[in-house]
Parts: sequence; C-alpha cells; structure tokens
Amino acid sequence: MNIMSQTGTAQSEVTVNTANGLHLVPCSRIAELARSYPACEIHIRRAEATTTVDAKTIFDLMTLGALQGTQLILEARGDAADEVISKLVDLFESDFGLENRN
Amino acid sequence: MIIKRGIPVSQGVVVGPAIVVGTEDMRVPERTIDEDQVESEIQRFRAAVEKVCEDISVNQKIASEQIGAQAGAIFGAHLEMARDPKLMGEIESQVTLNFNTPEFAASLVLGRYAKLFEELGDRYFAERAHDVFDLEKRILRNLLGQHREDLGNLTAPALVLAHNLTPSETAQLDRKYVLGFATEVGGHTSHTAILAGALEIPAVVGLGSFLSKVTSGEMVMIDGNKGLLIVSPDENILASYRSSQEEMRITAEKRETLTALPPETTDGTRIKIMGNVEFPEEAKLCRQRGADGIGLYRTEFLYLGKGKQPTEEDHYQAYCEVIESMAGDPVLIRTLDIGADKIPGEYEGLYPEENNPVLGLRSIRLCLYDLPLFQTQLRAILRASIDADVGIMFPLVSSLMEFRQARMIVRETMEDLEEQKIPFNPNVKIGMMVEVPSAVMLAEEFAREVDFFSIGTNDLIQYTLAADRSDPSVAKLFSSGDPSILKMLRMIINAANKQNIPVSVCGQMSSDPKFISLLIGLGLRQISVTPQVISELKQVIRSMSVSEAEAIAEKALTLDVARNVESFLRGELHKMCPDLIR
Repeated sequence: MNIMSQTGTAQSEVTVNTANGLHLVPCSRIAELARSYPACEIHIRRAEATTTVDAKTIFDLMTLGALQGTQLILEARGDAADEVISKLVDLFESDFGLENRN
Repeated sequence: MIIKRGIPVSQGVVVGPAIVVGTEDMRVPERTIDEDQVESEIQRFRAAVEKVCEDISVNQKIASEQIGAQAGAIFGAHLEMARDPKLMGEIESQVTLNFNTPEFAASLVLGRYAKLFEELGDRYFAERAHDVFDLEKRILRNLLGQHREDLGNLTAPALVLAHNLTPSETAQLDRKYVLGFATEVGGHTSHTAILAGALEIPAVVGLGSFLSKVTSGEMVMIDGNKGLLIVSPDENILASYRSSQEEMRITAEKRETLTALPPETTDGTRIKIMGNVEFPEEAKLCRQRGADGIGLYRTEFLYLGKGKQPTEEDHYQAYCEVIESMAGDPVLIRTLDIGADKIPGEYEGLYPEENNPVLGLRSIRLCLYDLPLFQTQLRAILRASIDADVGIMFPLVSSLMEFRQARMIVRETMEDLEEQKIPFNPNVKIGMMVEVPSAVMLAEEFAREVDFFSIGTNDLIQYTLAADRSDPSVAKLFSSGDPSILKMLRMIINAANKQNIPVSVCGQMSSDPKFISLLIGLGLRQISVTPQVISELKQVIRSMSVSEAEAIAEKALTLDVARNVESFLRGELHKMCPDLIR
C-alpha cells in the first residue's frame, strides 16, 4: 500500500498469541521495527494500565512481562504513525513469524 | 565414581568422554577512571560492542543453518539487545558522569536488567536473565581481551558439562559431536533444556556444583530419564547400560513388527484398541502405537492449573489438534468431569465445604447447572468435529433424566450455531460413561437412548464397592476382579449388544492384560487404554480365540471372591502368553 507519510497519531489494540508470551524474540522484532521509524514515537502499554514502555528498546518491552492472551495497546505519534502501527499489528497477528509450537 | 542427581530435561541415556566448558574468571579489574580517560574509554567500549555485534551475527548465521530458524532468532534478539540505544546510553553515562570503567559500567547496568527480568515472575521470562548475562560476558570478554574455547572446536563426540550453557556458548556446536548436556544450574525452561530437546539428546540440569570434580576426557554417563550424572561409571553400571541399550533395541524391533499386525483373535475377530489421552500431544503417540482412535479424551486439563476458565477458542484449538492427529479415526470426547471446587474463577469459595465432593456438584451435574460453562465446551466440540468421526461422552450419568437433559442441550447448542451460521458437525454421536451403579441397573433403558456406552471401571468399582481407591486403608477392597463388577459388566455389555450400540471399557481394567480374555469373553469388542500398553495388549489378543475367552469368562463368573478371580485370570494369561513383551 502506498501511503504518503503523514504526521499524526495512530493506535491499535492487539492480543499476544505466542505460546511463551511476548518473550525475547518477539520483543526484538518489535524493537527492530520501531527503531526503523526514527521520526515517530512509539509506546506500548497493557490494556488495563496507564504506564507505557518505549517500543524501541527491547529491555523495556521485556518488562511488560506479557504472557499469552495479554491485551496490549500500541500508540504512535509522529511521521508515518499509521504505517508503523499497521506493520506492528501485522507482526502480532502473524505471531512474529515464529513456528507455533505448543 | 561420583553420582550426582539433578533435573532431567531431555530423555535418553548416553556414555562417553566429557568436555568441560570452562568457567572463566570474569573479574572486573577496575571500577574508576580519570576524567581525561573518558574519551578513550568510550571509544574502547564502542569498539568492543561493534565486535560483539559482529560475533553475534556470525553465530546467528551458523545457528540458523546448523540448528534451525528458532535458534537463529535467539541471536537476532541478542543482537537487538546489544544495539539497544537505551542500554548503550546508560552504560556510557556511567562512564562519562560517574567515571566508571566500561567493564564496571556494563556489569552494573546489565546486572540491573537481569534482575528486572528475574522479577518478572513467569519462569520463561525469568530464565531470560541468562541471556542478559550472556551479553554481559561477551562485552566483558571483548573489553578484557579474553579468548575462549568454544564448542565449535569439538572434533570428536563428547558429553558437554558446564556451569550453564548460554546461546553464545552453544552457537557453533556441531551436532555430530554433542552427545548430551549436564549443567550445574538451570531448569526446565533453560537454554540447555530447550536445545537438548531440539537436538533430541539426553540432558540433566540443576546438578549443583560438580565441575571441580571432573576433567575433560573423563568417561561420564548422562541419564536424562532419571536425572543422573555419573562420573567414571564403574563396570557394573557400564554393563547394565550396555545390556539395557541392547534390550531397548530388541524391544523396539519387536514393537515395530507388532505395530503392523492387527489386534485380531486367533479365530479372526478384530478387537478395537483405542487410546486414552489427556493432552493433545498424546494423540500423536496413540497413532504411532497403532490405536484405532481415541476412546477417551479427558478434557479436564483445560481447566486445571491455569487460574482462569478456558475460552471456547482454547477448547476449539485443543480439540482440533487431537482430531487432526487422528486423521479420520474416531475420537470420543468426554465433557467436563471435575467438581465445582476445581473450576478456576467464580466457583472458588462459592459453595460451602462439601462433605463428599466426589458425590457432589461435579461433572454432568455441574454442566447442567451452569449452562454457559457447558455450552462453551459443546460449541467447541461441535465446531471442531466438522468432517470428523466424533462422539460426545457425558460422565457420571446417574439417571435417564440427566442424559435426556444433556442431550437436549447439545441439540439447543446446535440450533444456536445454526442460527449464527457457524459451521459444525450435526452428526456427532452422543453417548455416556457407564460408571454409576444406577446406570448399570438401567443399562437396557439407557442402551435404547444413547449412541454408545463407555464403561468407566475406575469410578464404577469405587461407587459399587464403596471404597476409595486412593485410600490405602481400603485399597484391598478395590478390585477390578470383584464378582459384583463382573456381573455388572455382563449386564452392560449384553444391554449394549442387544441394542447394537458400541460398548467399550476405558478404565484401568482394560489396560491390565489379564482381564482381556474376560472382557472379550463377556462380549466386549472394544477397549480404550493408555497408549504405552497397546502393543502388549495386541499380543494378548492375538494369543486367544473368542471361544477360549468365553470359556474363561464363564469360569470367572462362578468364582465368588475377587482374589480367586484374579489368580485364575493370571494363570490363564500365563498359559496363553508365556513371554509377554511389555
């Protein structure tokens, strides 16, 4: 999809589906993606919480301790906010490209 | 000879020379630097991190090729950690503002993060603290200029012993040369356990301190079944190891030949052997062992130990997995069979202490009481059964009223799904567990209304003889061979055969080889057992004819005490199969 980068805000709710939750490998994929949008601020928080973590740092993402089934809110502010949120949602929905092992 | 006991995390037994992966002495030499050294120290730090990133990338490539994408992904994550701007920023601040050496700063900051992970509660997350320490070691190693032996240098098969094995340490291992792992620390979710599982080699962790007692080259044994590490095993142990390896090979061969043969009596009657399962993974085992289907799928595990009730999707996933594994063979799913006290969520504490939870609000009664709970499970079963041969089995049915109500709810659930235009299988069979004496007495009436019977001998014996089988003081009273039980079995099987509905026995009685002749002699043609005993029971079935079985059953029914029945059947089994392979 060819979207013109717009400055703005965007957000989405996602569910953690991977068997071991949002562990090291998924967190690294999120951080990697987030860091490729330097002009955008991206934060994640648990659905029922107010404290957010910076999605660009893997250490912060790990501290979410999000187990399978956790609902998370993704928020982006800045250039291409829509695009990054959309790509993050894809990551979550494709289980981060990991094999689904029970 | 030294024997140490630890946590077995990957099965198998192996003997061979040890290779001790060195514990380095990573002492951080200095804490502080002078102000005029800050600039050069930062440069030195950044160069070390560059090197670390290069090394990790190389490891990632090798691991992906040698072991798989999953192992490679771990290194991707390590790389991400090494490049994390927040981490780098914090370490560099310690250097520029606090005048710490980069070694001290890295140790401090990473140590803090490791502790954070450990406090995350969930075991899997806490284990990842080791990944942080792994990164710390790499950075320190580069800053301190240390060189190390790694497993990429193995040239002959060996058993790897270490304090702990981190992804970077095992990155370059050649799977040809690694026979097993043993570590001083670690648990079920440690990297060692995961890797050993993937490579399918024996591993024991959490052994406690032992590295000082063993040197590279020494002969060691790792027993991943019992969780043992034996340094310099003596000749006795080695001899029994060799003979058990040989035995295992012979049994495996015999079992191979048996799997191909059908469970048929000598006069050509085919008996169906189904499997009892609890976890979806067991279904695959059943198929491997040649089961004709799943005769009892216990669904309780979905509710227990999770802290919250399973959703319809949770049920659906599990059922689909089992049904798919069985590739068209029949699957009988038993609905919830536990008491209200065991259901997580609203029930806890809602009911007064029951005097007799076994006789209380449980199983089908609980389901009829809590329709949303019941229908969640039913919906998932109906949806998962599309194009499959599935039966729904109600446990603890004690009256016709109960069965009819439950069946009506299944029909209502089907109507709901239809209205919601959600596809399901309208042809699922609906049957019951026969385990309450009242159901036995009305076997003929029930047989007219159900699609199949499954005799749950465990509970039937308990309710009939009024003896708790887990109570050692009355354990002797609990016997599958009790004459009252035999008469009940005859009643049930006759009622089923008269109405031409399938009947099977799914309790422990049918997994016991000496009862097979009796059950077949009474007219049973289907059993459901733990997959591990399927080949043994096949041998028993193949050693008898139906007429022999009928004679045995007739004789057994004349005996008046359980002990005599059991001795008689044991004797008959020995006559028929003198060399049974377990």
